[in-house]
Amino acid sequence: MAELLQVQHLKKYFANQKAVDDISFSVEEGSIFGLLGPNGAGKTTLIRMITGIFYPDAGQITFQGKPFDPIHDVRHIGYMPEERGLYKKMKIGEHALYLAQLKGLSRSDAMRQVKIWFERLEMESWWNKKVEDLSKGMSQKLQFVSTVLHEPRLIILDEPFSGLDPVNSNLIKDEIHRLAKNGSTIIFSTHRMEQVEEICQQIILVNRGQKILDGTVNSIKQQYKQSQYRIGIPALNEAHLAEAPFELILSKENEQIVRITDGKSSNDVLRFLIDRSIPVHSFVEILPSLNDIFIRLVEDTPVTRQFQPA
Amino acid sequence: MYKTFIIIQREYLTRVRKKTFIISTLLFPILYVGLIFGMGFLAENSKQNLNIALIDQSGYFKQVDLDRENTLDPSSKISLVTERATDVLKDPEAAGYDGFIRLPKLDWRQGSDQIFIEAKKSYGSGTTATVEAKLNRIWNRIKNDSLSIDENKQVILQASQLSIRSKNMDDASSNANIAEVIGYVAGLLIYLILLIYGSQVMMGVMEEKTNRIAEVLVSSVRPFQMMMGKIIGIGLVALTQFLLWIGFVLIVYNVSKASGESMSAATVMVGKMQQVFTGINVPLILFCFGFYFLGGFFFYSSLYAAIGSAVNEDLREAQSLSFPITMLVIISIALMSTATANPTGPIAVWASIIPFSSPIVMMARIPYGVPGTVPWWQLGLSMVMLVIGFLGTVWFAGKIYRTGILMYGKKPSWGEMLKWVFRKS
Repeated sequence: MAELLQVQHLKKYFANQKAVDDISFSVEEGSIFGLLGPNGAGKTTLIRMITGIFYPDAGQITFQGKPFDPIHDVRHIGYMPEERGLYKKMKIGEHALYLAQLKGLSRSDAMRQVKIWFERLEMESWWNKKVEDLSKGMSQKLQFVSTVLHEPRLIILDEPFSGLDPVNSNLIKDEIHRLAKNGSTIIFSTHRMEQVEEICQQIILVNRGQKILDGTVNSIKQQYKQSQYRIGIPALNEAHLAEAPFELILSKENEQIVRITDGKSSNDVLRFLIDRSIPVHSFVEILPSLNDIFIRLVEDTPVTRQFQPA
Repeated sequence: MYKTFIIIQREYLTRVRKKTFIISTLLFPILYVGLIFGMGFLAENSKQNLNIALIDQSGYFKQVDLDRENTLDPSSKISLVTERATDVLKDPEAAGYDGFIRLPKLDWRQGSDQIFIEAKKSYGSGTTATVEAKLNRIWNRIKNDSLSIDENKQVILQASQLSIRSKNMDDASSNANIAEVIGYVAGLLIYLILLIYGSQVMMGVMEEKTNRIAEVLVSSVRPFQMMMGKIIGIGLVALTQFLLWIGFVLIVYNVSKASGESMSAATVMVGKMQQVFTGINVPLILFCFGFYFLGGFFFYSSLYAAIGSAVNEDLREAQSLSFPITMLVIISIALMSTATANPTGPIAVWASIIPFSSPIVMMARIPYGVPGTVPWWQLGLSMVMLVIGFLGTVWFAGKIYRTGILMYGKKPSWGEMLKWVFRKS
């Protein structure tokens, strides 16, 4: 698959810190890409460079095979920032039209797109309501619509689910999948790992302005697995445990969680159990959750990094 | 350009459609007229009716003369006191008077400047003037009688005067009194616009920051487009309000002109206005008003926009940071008073050329006549300087705005904001 976005050695230094310090990655067209990192890792600065809000101090951004040109390429990018808001006094329909026109759509095109999206998310009846009358979930839906209705090739969502109830979360999640299936590329920035595991194919993890992890969700889990297995057997006696090729981490009535000793394989474990006629009901490898990996990698990072003037 | 236009459109329409715009447009002229009449009314009513005892040691004043004056002007009452003089001197209020005047022995050829209304309270000049006028009218008659000047001669003495006004050799039609009024009103209007609409720009920018919509917008448009869209949009709102007021005046003017030959108050006013408009260069003044209004508005509102972008939701922060700018506007109005009093003096000339004060001060000078009072070179230099000035402030503000609009947290100082301006992008 072709690469829609390529970021090479991107740097942005502020007066007293390196917000983005030599980050490179590429995003394939039509994929859902996770940009992860703790608060203050440099995610927002990175996104602001990709959306043309900041100029990088060094490095290159390639968009659709050409050097990124903020003036023209913003037409093909939809960005929903974490700090997002709306004009309270505006009517909802007009607000969506306004934001679409600011992306460069003509009034008639904007009108057509707004109608399509309002229908899809069942928002038609809201048209003449004022923004200030919307609940938080409703205004988040409006923000999502405003982000995508100019049919951008690249959609960047910064914490899109914060403050959403499960019903609306699922609605947005479904739309994200649908957009990706129709060829849009999505960058999904968050520090909520469980959502990433569900949605993203590929991720990078950023900490202190540097990329510390890059790969598919599965390959990263394989890379960080710790030889842990969940085995469906009754509790073992002391004698067995002493000679077993694994150590016990957690013991339940019919389930034991173990870590295989270095140098031994899963087959060694099975052979050990079968030789001793211990009935095995199940045998599953435990892969670490992204959350565990995340915490392991970014532990002890001071949380004092915050946005500084550009 | 298309995007800037879209922003201008939104800024303009949301404001013009607001009820507050319609109400303030209608209410301002009413309040303005009401204020003028109201002040006259209050001034009339705040005068006190004094009851004064006159203790005359000169022997010139007679009760008959005082009675005649008292009936002509009942706002004060002066009575000659002879018998109970010591009681009055001791306590005028117990004797039924507000105060007393003790006239010393006088020579009619000399008069005196050592006469007081003595009372338990102090009275303002507006109140003492009526008493003074009354006594002087009687005093004049006493002098006339002593000099044997009859009624005819008195009329000649009073009516025959040398009155002096200023006339401009280059501009025969200019009328200093009317020019002063027009200049004052024009300067004052620009002053009001700069303050009212400048702070609207500031509030508008702050709203975008507080609502957290700023970052959504900057991913679609350049910060500079955002700022200019807002400034131009709000400037057009101010212009609209003006055109409505001018239209309102023209309608009143034409309706009262058409309403017939009868000598009503309205036709008198129309006649006066015609007189005013023939004495001055209306197209030039209107053109200059438009120019200085727009130039001044761009100059100041871009600075206000910069401040709006730098502060957070706290209005007090905005006020403290915008104080120096508001001061510039207020200094301009102070300079304007000097300029109307002496429109060719050095303060007037320089204040009307330097950009920060020129919109207000130059507007106060122009009605005196171009090129009579304001030579063409001064007008041209002032306009060029204003254009350079507002291009400078817009550039300056754009730099601050670009950074400030995405900043949350501590209020920056002016020093930090200057750093944003001169940092390479």
